[in-house]
Amino acid sequence: MSGRLFRWLVVGFLLVLVAVPLYWILDTSFKTGRQILMSEAIYIPKPFTIENYLYLFEETRFARWLRNSAVVALASTFVSLTIGSAGAYALTRLRFPGRRLFGALVLITYLVPPGLMFIPLYRTFIQIGYSNSLGTLILAYPTFLVPFVTWLLMGFFRSIPRELEEAALVDGATRLQTLGRIVLPLAAPGLLAAGLFCFTLSWNEFLYALIFIADDNLRTLPVGLSEFVVSDFAFWGQLMAAAALASLPVVLVYIYLHKYMVSGLTAGAVKG
Amino acid sequence: MSKVLTQPAPAASRAGGLAWHRVNRVQERLLGYALIAPVAILIVLLIAYPFFNAIWLSLTEKMVGYPAHFVGLKNYVALWESARFRIVAWNSVVYTVGSIGAKVVIGLAMAAALQKAVHGNQLLRGFLLLPWVIPTVVIALTWRWLLDLYRGLFNVGLHDLGIIGGGIHWLGNPDLAMLSVIMANVWRGFPFFGVSFLAAMQTVPQDLYDAASVDGASAWQQFWRISLPSIKGVVAIVTLLSTIWTLNDFNIVYIMTRGGPGAATHIFATYSYELGIQSQRWGMAMAASMYSLPVIALLIIFVVRYLHREEPTS
Repeated sequence: MSGRLFRWLVVGFLLVLVAVPLYWILDTSFKTGRQILMSEAIYIPKPFTIENYLYLFEETRFARWLRNSAVVALASTFVSLTIGSAGAYALTRLRFPGRRLFGALVLITYLVPPGLMFIPLYRTFIQIGYSNSLGTLILAYPTFLVPFVTWLLMGFFRSIPRELEEAALVDGATRLQTLGRIVLPLAAPGLLAAGLFCFTLSWNEFLYALIFIADDNLRTLPVGLSEFVVSDFAFWGQLMAAAALASLPVVLVYIYLHKYMVSGLTAGAVKG
Repeated sequence: MSKVLTQPAPAASRAGGLAWHRVNRVQERLLGYALIAPVAILIVLLIAYPFFNAIWLSLTEKMVGYPAHFVGLKNYVALWESARFRIVAWNSVVYTVGSIGAKVVIGLAMAAALQKAVHGNQLLRGFLLLPWVIPTVVIALTWRWLLDLYRGLFNVGLHDLGIIGGGIHWLGNPDLAMLSVIMANVWRGFPFFGVSFLAAMQTVPQDLYDAASVDGASAWQQFWRISLPSIKGVVAIVTLLSTIWTLNDFNIVYIMTRGGPGAATHIFATYSYELGIQSQRWGMAMAASMYSLPVIALLIIFVVRYLHREEPTS
């Protein structure tokens, strides 16, 4: 019976742990500036207002940031999925000298932390004269997305029986045809999972966007949000409204498809 | 070539089959290189080149208006002798060990609690994964607001519960600031640990637990003797992966404290940011990053060997 008690204690603790900060975001976002400033109505917004949300669209560049984030996330996801799935196919299905070396290289680059790469990459973009553009981010994000997608999809491709493809090859299909007609359709759940991961990772990315983009009009959401805090002061009502809206797309994607994400997570990031 | 390929190979004569095979193999090779080329180009141009360029940069010094010149290990020596950098290195270790230690413990508890199939578990797991999905920037800003001295939920709540009299300076006190950034990091990361451990635990055959129950083993003993030993590989790999990224984490600290108060929460990446992006001392900035490289490289080798070992050889 102690096992059951323990279980409920842990579950209860974790629920509170996760729920409290999330509630605090929503709670704050529906309060008036006065309620926040005077610490009135701490636990429940009273009166309840959506003025913070309106303010974002009327008085800030929120809509602009939203658009920038969407452009960057969608474009870098598309680029990374295309490059990564081709690479993963080659590394799992085709025999060529240097294949194992490439496999290891992909894994190594997947593991290199962005915290180590942001200055080197920034310097490189400065050298080639291509910083401060959404295109910079669309080029930069694949540096962590492509190794990740390749690694993730290698697992999915491996799970597709080789015999299916060999039968088609024997029947006269080319490699590219088997890739397009057999492997990719069968790997669709994997591609979907990889695409969702890419979108989420790009949507949430902060460090590269902070450093590579100087123009206020080109900021992505996470950077825009961080700029709400000016020294020690912030408009917490508007900021929490922005936080809720910035989280919404990834949370929706996740609710709809979280089974794929969980299987992708376990297949890719923690094999075995 | 296409003519050769469209021949029904198995029905062809022995010699014809061989020729078909050889053409096919050359073609396979070429296709292999063609498909891997974009990945290779990306890795060379945007990862390898910047990286080696950065190592070179860490051995140079650049004054405004002059080209960079080689100074050997000067930057490394200067950092080694700098009290501030030593604090940064120590903070990085504290931040990493503290965050990952807590995440392993909470992750194991989460996995153990959710292991038994209970109605609503799926929903519960989905909810608990939310911190791992939402943007880190949102998390860091939310925690900063939760811990606000006068109006944050923590201080107001603890005060209303009668636990504290005045406000706690969560982000103003050096020790508490470190604790605060670790808390935010743990909140963000524990679901990943928990779900990974849970997935591993669920592959453990139920018979083992049944047999242990028959023998009178308690739930605690079953966890300690069956679950934990069976998932230690996954615990190790998740810990290693997380260590690599946490040691060079940036977002949470940058947003919550900017490394402060003083340098109390400065870690490798935030310090490199300060040296490079803010002070334009690029050589120093890269040298500071490179100090974490031996550890990172070692961990990467462990992970690569572990994951590559598991890969089926074809």
